[in-house]
Amino acid sequence: MVIRLALAGNPNCGKTTLFNNLTGASQHTGNWPGVTVEKKEGKLRGNKDVIITDLPGIYSLSPYSPEEVVARDYLIKDRPEIIVNVVDSTNLDRNLYLTTQLLETGIPVVVALNMIDVVEKNGDKIDSKKLSEILGCGVVEISALKKKGMDELISTAINTAKIKQAPVIKEIFSNKTEKFILEISSVLKGKVEDCLLRWYSIKLLENDEKAAEELRLNSQEKSIISETVQRFESEFDDDGESIVTNERYNHIASVVKETSKKAKKEKLNTSDKIDRIVTNRILALPIFACVMIAVYYISISTVGGWMTDWVNDTLFAETLIPGAESWLQSVGAADWLNSFIVNGVINGVGAVLGFLPQMIVLFILLAILEDCGYMARIAFIMDRIFRKFGLSGKSFIPIMIGTGCGVPGIMASCTIEQECDRKITAMTTTFIPCSAKIPIIALIAGALFGGSVWIAVSAYFLGVIAIIMSGIILKKMNRFSGTPAPFVVELPPYHLPGLKTVAFSTGGRAWAFVKKAGTVIFVACALIWFLSSYNWALQPVGIEDSILESIGSAICGIFAPLGWGDWQATVATITGFIAKENVLGTFGTLFGLSEVSDGGEEIWSFVAASFTQLSAYSFLVFNLLCAPCFAAIGAMRRELGNKGCLFAVAYQMVFAYAVALCVYQFGMLFMGGGFTAYTLLAVIALAGIIFFLVRPDKMLKRKKVEVSAT
Amino acid sequence: MLLSMAGSGKSVEIKKISGKDETRGHLASMGFIEGEKITVVSKMAGGLILDIKGTRIAIDRGMANRIVCEGVA
Repeated sequence: MVIRLALAGNPNCGKTTLFNNLTGASQHTGNWPGVTVEKKEGKLRGNKDVIITDLPGIYSLSPYSPEEVVARDYLIKDRPEIIVNVVDSTNLDRNLYLTTQLLETGIPVVVALNMIDVVEKNGDKIDSKKLSEILGCGVVEISALKKKGMDELISTAINTAKIKQAPVIKEIFSNKTEKFILEISSVLKGKVEDCLLRWYSIKLLENDEKAAEELRLNSQEKSIISETVQRFESEFDDDGESIVTNERYNHIASVVKETSKKAKKEKLNTSDKIDRIVTNRILALPIFACVMIAVYYISISTVGGWMTDWVNDTLFAETLIPGAESWLQSVGAADWLNSFIVNGVINGVGAVLGFLPQMIVLFILLAILEDCGYMARIAFIMDRIFRKFGLSGKSFIPIMIGTGCGVPGIMASCTIEQECDRKITAMTTTFIPCSAKIPIIALIAGALFGGSVWIAVSAYFLGVIAIIMSGIILKKMNRFSGTPAPFVVELPPYHLPGLKTVAFSTGGRAWAFVKKAGTVIFVACALIWFLSSYNWALQPVGIEDSILESIGSAICGIFAPLGWGDWQATVATITGFIAKENVLGTFGTLFGLSEVSDGGEEIWSFVAASFTQLSAYSFLVFNLLCAPCFAAIGAMRRELGNKGCLFAVAYQMVFAYAVALCVYQFGMLFMGGGFTAYTLLAVIALAGIIFFLVRPDKMLKRKKVEVSAT
Repeated sequence: MLLSMAGSGKSVEIKKISGKDETRGHLASMGFIEGEKITVVSKMAGGLILDIKGTRIAIDRGMANRIVCEGVA
């Protein structure tokens, strides 16, 4: 018999550590369907028949956050055989709130009293036998960190699942409330399975719209229930949800009083003392800046950068590629096959793997920051600033990492809990110039602006402005308009990061990148290779006669309003999608040079001849803001899903085009170019941007109406 | 008084929480309910750190303005 075991618990209760203990390496990370909430599954070590699902960390089963909805839908619709509710025993009052709700789902539950060693160390006591009696389910004392009580937890869970021992129903609310629950139950009887009767009755009493939808009641039943709820609310003179919440906490308070004894506590513990410094009014930002500089320095500038350079330049460019080339020649492979394997396949694989070392270093650092508790403080420190333009406090990290490389930058957005904030961050991170875009900046600055540093400064400034503007624009779109979560965040006590937690978090994220992003990157690179190496008759040719050239010539008219409508610039932009630094190399090839250095000095004169200052700047603006390289697009697909990724790319393209258009056309107008049809187009584009920026927020309006109605 | 006005180190009891159902639901699931006693551990840049039911919770000033409370000794 296959047993599906769901791990449920509050954030920071040690659920992930327990999950890693139970599953070992047999876990895989994915997303819950339809949302980008991380889903982790694995098989129990030594017993392949037990499949463990790690539900997201939640405080309750209300329908307010995607995490809560995901957990709740899984429990109510998929009905796992057993729930293991991980409870932080140093904090029973809060953790049991979720427990009482899990017990109402009618699924067998075993409570795992985690961190029991800390309770003992503090001199506190918990009577787990009595707790088990009062709750009506099994209770096992464990310490996930010290691997204590694992066997007992597993055997209790499996036994409970096998005999299908549902929790004993306890009437935890006041008599008056229980009477109303019974009243609703009598209406629902026969409509839902018996084991869910109490669950749905309580939910309806709480005015839970989502539960009401699932029940598909007819209008007569609906009116009976709404009449009952109204009587309930008027009897207590409060709204249904508040009454139920309050009574639930009252019940928990009495449970905790009966089952646990707390030793006297110090007023300020070590965590509080650290917080005094770390979240201090004056010191918070400088400390944060130091931590961020360290993260950036280690992952981008030094260790991670070296490793990535080694993989790209030494392993692939000097060893694998020449090796494969000469081997293929020696076995007499056809030229086209050689070219396909070397330039198509190996380069494609290299594009995926090249970023991996850097990303692993970054993921390790982020996992350490998350696990030690500092990440929660970052959100707190930065939130005030970032919230103003629709991003979360944690958005700072992806954007900063993005200045090095957009790929790990986008992947770093996975630490943001709020789904819409995470998506917006993933979409806008690549607006900030990454290190691969620096050669393009250097080329334009060197060829047309006499090497002025202001071009680079303006590029970063443009990136920041683009992120802020996009934050405001996107937040107002329906697909991102999830109500901003109230800023209330738990600050877990600081502790040393666990090796295992860091290793599993890093491994899971790195693998997800290879799997999800890798395929996109690989296919896209191979396709561009094909287009640039063959003509329509499928004969191998140079890029200047290739299919890509004819595509470039066909579509380059699109870029005429931006001032650079020739096919060379268009093709360079397209090859830039493989990697942004390719833009230079392509210009080199197209101008008949084989080697181009980082700053592109060799081609300055050619570029200067084919661009004006204004058109060159517009070219730069477009290439900085448009869709990033395939690797970054692959990373976006991992974070946003297929549809979201398409939307993101489309948005970036349109935004880049509009901004570049405005830059070029208004520049022309100022320089006395006269008002043309294109100028009109730019005026329309500008008006469009302004409209999207200042249009009223529908969600905000709705909120205001609600407030004034009450 | 509003929670945002409570001084550092003071213990208060929550009297009322205003806002939409969603906000209140979220606050409630973290332990913010009427009658609950909380302690202001410290006031920091941007908000407050509270001790509620034994854990540290950070909330911003805007959120603290929605919570009406009364000082307890």
